[in-house]
Amino acid sequence: MVAREKTEGVLEAQEEFTAEQWAAVDAVIKKYKKKPGSLIPVLEEVQEAIGYLPKPVMKRVALGLKVPFSEVYGVVTFYSFFTMAPKGKHTVRCCLGTACYVRGGKRILETLTETLKVQPGETTPDRNFSLETVRCLGACGLAPVVVVDEDTHRQMKPSKISGVLEAYDK
Amino acid sequence: MPALKIEGLYKIKGEVLRSLVLESGKNAGRITVHMGTCGISSGAGDILQVLKEELKSSKRKDIFVTTSGCAGICNREPLITVERVGEEPVKYADVTKEKAREIFQKHVLKGEGLPQWVFSRGWEQKEMEFEGPPSPKMEKTPHTRDIPFFGMQNPVVMKNRGLIQAERIEEYIARDGYFAAAKALYQMGSEEIIKEVKTSGIRGRGGAGFPTGMKWEFASKSPGDVKYVLCNADEGDPGAFMDRCVLESDPHAVLEGMIIAAKAIGSHQGYIYCRAEYPLAVKMLNLAIEQARNYGLLGKNILGSGFDFDVEVYRGAGAFVCGEETALMTSIEGKRGMPRPRPPFPALQGLWKKPTVLNNVETLANIPQIIMNGGKWYAGMGTMRSRGTKVFALTGDVKNVGLVEVPMGISLGTIIHDVGGGIPKGKKFKAVQLGGPSGGCVPVQYLNTPVDYESIVKLGAIVGSGGMIVMDEDKCVVDVARFFLEFCKDESCGKCTPCRVGTQKMLEILTRICNGEGQEGDIERLEKWADIIKNTSLCGLGQSAPNPVLSTIRYFREEYEAHIREKRCPAAVCSALFKAPCIHACPIGMDIPSYVALTRAGRLEDAYKVLLKTNPFPSICGRVCDHQCESKCRRSTLDEPVSIKNLKRFITDHGTRPPVKKPTVARKEKIAVVGGGPSGLTAARDLALRGYSVTIFDEFPEPGGMLRWGIPEYRLPRDILRREIDDILNLGVELKANTKVGRDVAYEELVKAYDAVYLAIGAQKSAGMAAEGGTLKGVVGAVEFLRDVNLGKTPPVGERVAVVGGGNSAIDASRSALRLGAKEVTLLYRRTREDMPAQEEEIKAAEEEGVKMQYLVNPVRFQGSDGRIEQVICRRMVLGEFDNSGRKKPVPKLGEDKAVDVDMVILAIGQETVLPFDAKGGAVPVNKSGLIELIKGKKTATKAPMVFAGGDVVTGPDTVVSAIAAGHHAANEIDQAIRLKNGEAFSLPPEEEIEIPLIIDEEIHEAERACTLEAGCAERIKDFREVELGLSKEDAFKESCRCLRCDAKA
Repeated sequence: MVAREKTEGVLEAQEEFTAEQWAAVDAVIKKYKKKPGSLIPVLEEVQEAIGYLPKPVMKRVALGLKVPFSEVYGVVTFYSFFTMAPKGKHTVRCCLGTACYVRGGKRILETLTETLKVQPGETTPDRNFSLETVRCLGACGLAPVVVVDEDTHRQMKPSKISGVLEAYDK
Repeated sequence: MPALKIEGLYKIKGEVLRSLVLESGKNAGRITVHMGTCGISSGAGDILQVLKEELKSSKRKDIFVTTSGCAGICNREPLITVERVGEEPVKYADVTKEKAREIFQKHVLKGEGLPQWVFSRGWEQKEMEFEGPPSPKMEKTPHTRDIPFFGMQNPVVMKNRGLIQAERIEEYIARDGYFAAAKALYQMGSEEIIKEVKTSGIRGRGGAGFPTGMKWEFASKSPGDVKYVLCNADEGDPGAFMDRCVLESDPHAVLEGMIIAAKAIGSHQGYIYCRAEYPLAVKMLNLAIEQARNYGLLGKNILGSGFDFDVEVYRGAGAFVCGEETALMTSIEGKRGMPRPRPPFPALQGLWKKPTVLNNVETLANIPQIIMNGGKWYAGMGTMRSRGTKVFALTGDVKNVGLVEVPMGISLGTIIHDVGGGIPKGKKFKAVQLGGPSGGCVPVQYLNTPVDYESIVKLGAIVGSGGMIVMDEDKCVVDVARFFLEFCKDESCGKCTPCRVGTQKMLEILTRICNGEGQEGDIERLEKWADIIKNTSLCGLGQSAPNPVLSTIRYFREEYEAHIREKRCPAAVCSALFKAPCIHACPIGMDIPSYVALTRAGRLEDAYKVLLKTNPFPSICGRVCDHQCESKCRRSTLDEPVSIKNLKRFITDHGTRPPVKKPTVARKEKIAVVGGGPSGLTAARDLALRGYSVTIFDEFPEPGGMLRWGIPEYRLPRDILRREIDDILNLGVELKANTKVGRDVAYEELVKAYDAVYLAIGAQKSAGMAAEGGTLKGVVGAVEFLRDVNLGKTPPVGERVAVVGGGNSAIDASRSALRLGAKEVTLLYRRTREDMPAQEEEIKAAEEEGVKMQYLVNPVRFQGSDGRIEQVICRRMVLGEFDNSGRKKPVPKLGEDKAVDVDMVILAIGQETVLPFDAKGGAVPVNKSGLIELIKGKKTATKAPMVFAGGDVVTGPDTVVSAIAAGHHAANEIDQAIRLKNGEAFSLPPEEEIEIPLIIDEEIHEAERACTLEAGCAERIKDFREVELGLSKEDAFKESCRCLRCDAKA
């Protein structure tokens, strides 16, 4: 099954889900099938297995639990923990608060989008990085600031970006 | 593991307690690493590793390293507790890996305590009292319960804080865990349990405050075999983390509470709805449930009682609205978490339409103790209608951040100042946000309010889940309201129109206001929307979303109005309204980044020109200004604020003064300025530059006002002052010195003869003291004393002088008296040093020069003989409740009056105006404090036609820069009024363009603020030479490089 739809403005990776992945999905469905109202735990565990919840996977869940697809779609889009677009292994947050902005935050963001080849809100095709902008992390003395996962990188320069990202490229 | 019966519980309790007893040889020492979330983020995991390594190398089999949950004081983490045989336990704070090694080697192995790293000794909980003296070297260490943060708390929910490992159910049992469940299952029927809970008076701790006993009663009476007990662990309020602490560090308390609830209502299945953002809590809960099941404490036939009850954890998926009762149930049913209308109420028809009880984590955690100790015990704490204790999450601008459990009814101020330690960095308290996004902001006037459900609602806020966010003067309440509203808008489920659309609309208005696009009528619009949303939304989220906006409008309307009408953010937060916060904070909007940048570039003459654009007295302000700019300088978030005032002075000391060009008198109108102080002189200068003829009337031989007759020469050399005044007079301004309006010239004549009159006469009389003996010889007012000093009259100064007051005048008078030969000068102030309004630099200088400070004393009587002062009788003051300024009010303490021997008293307790006309005459409106009243909305215009007023005569004693600002406003309003009369257009005069260099450093390093040079203490008090000598050239350059150029546009 090739999934190549534009969901939420993001071109999904053209991907066949492997047999293992489908088996994992089915196992979760089987585990919860008899329990009423278990749609949310099922979606949580399926997302943990697959990484995100694209339409084909949602359809599989809908069929398995005998719940209308529209209901599954409604639940996935309601709760912020569910994502229909793949999230990267590492989240890169570029601060655009005033202090960071004034000290070149915009250029840092430009360099990030060039290097990763994605826009803020998107994930790289190899699923390694998701790029986000945030408004003021409160570390203005370290401006401009970029946070990758839990690590705060201070006084960033466009020249430092590739070096920082390489450390996470595993 | 066999299922337990009650005997089994006792057995486990005994085993664990015995294992905890320290004895030489078997169990000589124990180190507990506190691993709450704050501890882990601060590195407690590494500390644990280090200690385990040290233990292994020591090969000791009688020492143990263990863990427990959060210790309670977030900002001192990581914390470890060290216990040794025969010693009181000791808590080490701010532990690092290196310190941990030393502590193990020295204290644990050898018994050599390290008191310099110790936070406290002893446990927080009273029943853990160690019987014996403090261990060696720890005698001076405070006991945990003597530290206000802990001593003032009453841990009930937090009973096991720092004492147990959540991963070991046995440790919970050892602290009397599950005994209450046993009691409820074996000895109590459903009615009895409900009665006990009702007696306790406990109300829902999640926010709604509904009486828990009543809720259980409804559910127990509902028909049906299938009923549910739900625990709301979806703690979504930003700023609330009390539930998380319980879930991570004491999960069994929740389980036990649920068992008791189940017995009460007749339920056999429970769910804990835990938010997914708390993965550690979910993990601990699942582990706790598994261990409980293994012991037969959950599941079928609990403790052999025949009662079945099991619990499952249900994870949330990131929706704040699912903390709402009906939305939570809908979520468990696998649907979109949207609330349902009530009735039917969940107690009748809840989860899957069955009778359901939903309780908050904190509520449930209280239940086991209520059953064990009785409802009466719980009701014995708190107030009549708000019984028991509450856990507050105290965060924000407060010294001690953490979870504070106190009895209901304690005052807000006590929590913030005494338990919380007050506001850090010397900032002032502004407001406290209570109850998160459903709550409201409470300002300084209500610090004495008891914290209970009803009292807080009356203030327009709610106790809510217990979030308490303290805000200092640097926070903008409009921005905070917008933040909370944005949160609610994002989290709105969308089901009902008022919330879905209404929050969006309100947010649009608030965003416009914060961006400088506020319109007249916006506040009224917000109030109208708030009314609609509150009254028509389906659930609590919508109904309470407008609360932060409404409460900030109620108490801080002027702040909204400043944003809308003046495009000004008083806290200098809403960056769309200004170029840089320092410029915005300055009453005259000096272009600070520009002159600092020019100083850095060495262009001092241009820098001087920038100064003069807004400030006619830069040499003076560079010496005596109260520098509001520095209080908002963003550099302080890195190290210390830029020394702006001293840089300004540097420019005037070393830069060439731009020459003065006399303007042509282009206009026929004549303006009279009464009072040649900073305000009058500024207005005169502005008007002269616009081509008007100006005459200044001043009663003294020289102009300058308080600059000449108030501020002593050692702070402001006379030649500097003369130079700046002469520059103004050289513009062609006429000066009539030694001419007092009201004595030498009639006020009415002036009004007739001139086209406009500006009254800038200040407040030239000292306020007296309503104490007996105030007319004795030797009792003088500070204003008059300082004036006489400055007139060169060398007033007689006693040998022992007392100065009463705490403002800048008091300090000026004290230091002047020393210089005039007083042997001993004592300053008597009725509050504490922290509360003194005088500038910190001045207080320090006075202390260095030997002025003796006595705090919390107030004169009640002056005594003497032959009509001369000989003694001041001072009454001791103690700090009582909070007054409207947010400071604790000094209250006289009788019976401890002390006599101070003096031969002179200078009163510096206030200033009053002396008006040139009869205040009651109606010529110009005057209020009952003697201050001139202005037309509402105007800066200097009064009701009297073409009569304007500004400076101290309008505001009461205030700063030089405020007076200058008033002078600018007066010139504008006078110019406008005159042109309006003539039908002319008004526009501000053009300014000279100066190119400002823009240098942004690639790297910023922490650097201390430069110090100025000072005259030596011992020598300088012999005369009135200048004390502050300014920055050296090198230091000025370095200091100017510290500016972050917040005005730069990307």
